[in-house]
Amino acid sequence: MTKLTRRSMLGAMGAAAAASAFSAIPAWAADRSIRHFWWGNPERDKRTFAVIDVFQKANPAIEVSGETIGWGDYWTKMATQTAGRNMADLVQMDYRFLFEYVRRGALLPLDEHIGKSLMIADFDQGPLEGGKVDGKLYALNIGSNSQVMVHNTRVFQEAGIDADLINWTWDDFAKACETITAKTNGAVKGSDDLSLMIETFESWVRQNGREFYDADGKVTATVDDVASYWQFWADLREKGAVRDADKTVILDPPIAESGIAVGDTAMSHYWSNQLVGIQAVAKDKIGAAMVPHKAGGKPGQFIKPSMFMSLSRDAKDTDAAMAYMNAWVNDPETTAILGLERGIPCSPKVRAALAPNLTEVEKMSVDYFEAIQSRVGPLPLPAPKGAGEVRDAFMRVGTDVVLGNAQAADAATAFIEEAQSIVERAQ
Amino acid sequence: MRRFFARNAPAYVFLLPWLIGFFLLALGPILASLYLSFTRYDMVNVPEWVGLDNYVYMFTRDRRFWKALDVTFTYVALAVPARLIMALGVAMLLDKGLRTIGLYRAIFYLPSLLGASIAIAILWRQLFAADGVVNQIMATFGIQGASWITNPNTSLYILAMWQFGSPMLIFLAGLRGIPRDLYEAAEIDGTPRWRQFTRITLPLLAPVIFFNLVLQTIDAFKTFSSAFIISNGTGAPADSLLFYTVYLFNEAFKFFRMGYASALAWVLLIIIAVFTAVAFFTSKYWVHYENERD
Repeated sequence: MTKLTRRSMLGAMGAAAAASAFSAIPAWAADRSIRHFWWGNPERDKRTFAVIDVFQKANPAIEVSGETIGWGDYWTKMATQTAGRNMADLVQMDYRFLFEYVRRGALLPLDEHIGKSLMIADFDQGPLEGGKVDGKLYALNIGSNSQVMVHNTRVFQEAGIDADLINWTWDDFAKACETITAKTNGAVKGSDDLSLMIETFESWVRQNGREFYDADGKVTATVDDVASYWQFWADLREKGAVRDADKTVILDPPIAESGIAVGDTAMSHYWSNQLVGIQAVAKDKIGAAMVPHKAGGKPGQFIKPSMFMSLSRDAKDTDAAMAYMNAWVNDPETTAILGLERGIPCSPKVRAALAPNLTEVEKMSVDYFEAIQSRVGPLPLPAPKGAGEVRDAFMRVGTDVVLGNAQAADAATAFIEEAQSIVERAQ
Repeated sequence: MRRFFARNAPAYVFLLPWLIGFFLLALGPILASLYLSFTRYDMVNVPEWVGLDNYVYMFTRDRRFWKALDVTFTYVALAVPARLIMALGVAMLLDKGLRTIGLYRAIFYLPSLLGASIAIAILWRQLFAADGVVNQIMATFGIQGASWITNPNTSLYILAMWQFGSPMLIFLAGLRGIPRDLYEAAEIDGTPRWRQFTRITLPLLAPVIFFNLVLQTIDAFKTFSSAFIISNGTGAPADSLLFYTVYLFNEAFKFFRMGYASALAWVLLIIIAVFTAVAFFTSKYWVHYENERD
């Protein structure tokens, strides 16, 4: 018969809590053991487990266990483990969560290990900066990336798009969308509708000379920024030059369902380390373009650490953990396996060793990275608490605009008000 | 006292597994959540006592809370009657004394067992996607299918109606309990079918209807997995699928406001309790039991 409400729900929660308590006890005990926890995808997991095997062979006395889960569930599990004082020794960290975890005292600084067990003296110093909080290094950059407009090179060629894809403007972009849609009779739309993509919108705000959040974590993006952004896409939507509304409102679709992979749009916004993964599911050869610029505007795009590795407060065997972390960024065999999947490594030596063996799409992403260096702005400050919720609100309010239930200007006012109150409440 | 235990011992033995589960696993978290509902707790730092702040915020400032109530109440108001009517209809069809009735019972019950599962919700999403099976079938008849995903409520209601299995089984048992001679007498008097239904079936089935109504209402209030899957866990598009439990889950496990989520859970408990109490209170006016003397 039908189960009763609180009883079954709480029962399940209790059982889950009990199960997670047991998982804290390792099934087998080596002399020394470390746990590594990362968010992944099938390709990344394959490479990471291979790396663990390599480390294991070189250090038979240390037992490494890997734990992986998708991005969406990663932060839930991480918060639960942090609350239970049961974090993995080494955790994959993201720029937007770094400050939050450091402030909560969940991560240990790495400075005392630099030069002893962590050899990073010859690394590019710029990309390492992103891992510092209050002058101390809490997170080691394990790859850099940047925004990218992925495009279908075959469709671009057939439609005769000859814009300079590094220096182009939003006008060029809009024209390209219309041309592609017209040339293919609407079979391929010019671009995904990026109305709900707050990452693209952040570039838009920076091009207008502001950051989304200021140094105190207040929302500094304006109603005009939001309204003009949503209006830009509304105009393209009206011309039929971007993907259909009912596909746009499906949030965070897997790469395999994106317009580029399915083949019904010619462009979309991604992060550059995802190029390898997208090419794997796309039928045509993909190319990399910059997020269009605002004519006469400031640089919007930026280069950021795509992922970090951090040492957690719950790490027991720090020496073993640091040996593993050091191997990740220096050991030739390990770095060869990892390749560019997590982003561009900061070690010039590693990059040089990888260069001769790059695949076509990897080479393209390295070239793209070189080409954008002079056109990007500084790394924005880490987002304040509540930024994840603001992202949700952006998609939710934007959906009403995409579906034609609200005007861009009205929705923009509503969004900015909501964003401000979310950030205020989260502090 | 001894006689009480002697008489009720078997009942307590059967209740034992549930009692153990309740005291060991459920009671602690229930009390903890009551305490947490008066705190601000992010799962990492220690809970900070904030008194009634969570409840005040909920009722005075939280627009999404009201939106979630709106979505959930609308769903309860529409889905519960729809499912009960469907269940009663099928139960009456099966009550005709088919020889393979056991098979049919199993077939019709199956969706209820699977209905709450994730697999069905995912299947449902595929069926009702813009280029999904439903629209393809409609297209072969020349009908331009609606976009079910941008208006996903429709598919949720169909999903709700389709999970009529367990109330149907209970209705069927109830129908079986109605003495046949009443219908025979009515036949002899020439009572039309519809009057037989309103004068014999419905009144005698009232206790069963009441039972199903209470359970299905509780069930509908806590609808979670189907809405969670169809909306990718967010209540999207534009909060049209923001069921109360989905909102609660997001507050707890996405934004780590455990204190606030606990307060939401207690408010839901009170809402369900009020509805159940109202049902019980009004039941004496429309539910009559056969062994009652009046």
